[in-house]
Amino acid sequence: MADRRYETLVLIHPEQGEQGAKELTNRIRSLIEDQKGSIGQIQEWGLRDLAFLVAKQRRAFYVLFEYRATPAALAEVERNLRLTDPVLRFVSVRQAENAPPTPDRTARRPEPEETDTSLDAGDTGDMESLGEEV
Amino acid sequence: MPKDRGERRGGSSKGEGRGFRRRGLGRRKVCRFCADKTMQIDYKDTRALGGFLSERGKIMPSRITGNCARHQRSLTVAIKRARTVALLPYATSYP
Repeated sequence: MADRRYETLVLIHPEQGEQGAKELTNRIRSLIEDQKGSIGQIQEWGLRDLAFLVAKQRRAFYVLFEYRATPAALAEVERNLRLTDPVLRFVSVRQAENAPPTPDRTARRPEPEETDTSLDAGDTGDMESLGEEV
Repeated sequence: MPKDRGERRGGSSKGEGRGFRRRGLGRRKVCRFCADKTMQIDYKDTRALGGFLSERGKIMPSRITGNCARHQRSLTVAIKRARTVALLPYATSYP
């Protein structure tokens, strides 16, 4: 079976601590490698605020895995993630073969340009007036 | 069936006027992702996606943002992915 490019973003319970999160990251890495997947990169985003409570937690460790694996391997990795209690949530996405690897968080895109913000302002104005109609 | 349709069209032309017209004045919105081809829609890019959410955390309709159908589709998928991993809210809560 042809292998594909995937990425999986995993949320780790904050009670694991920095150390526990590292260990779990290594465990997931070996999980992928056991399935004959080849890791592209692993990004640790660290403890991040959640947009809403997950398992009564406000924060979680985010770790992003980029790797190549077969679809069957992905299914097995996901099954194991579901069985791992400290993993709050995860999402796996198939990436395009020619997509560039995710840039490091420190090198994330800067603020949007001025033209964009002016468009934003006009948009919200529309939204408000529409809201009143309804 | 075709005959039926013809009748209906005749009826509407009496009341509503001619077909679709752009309501109000204002400059035509262009899909931002079409205008800037380098812009990628990525569920991890919270800052970019956040701009397409209302204050309540709802996804803005393309009618307002001016996105083309194709990009609006991939945008909503990206926002929903971001929501499953709590990068973006489903709804904003007021404590």
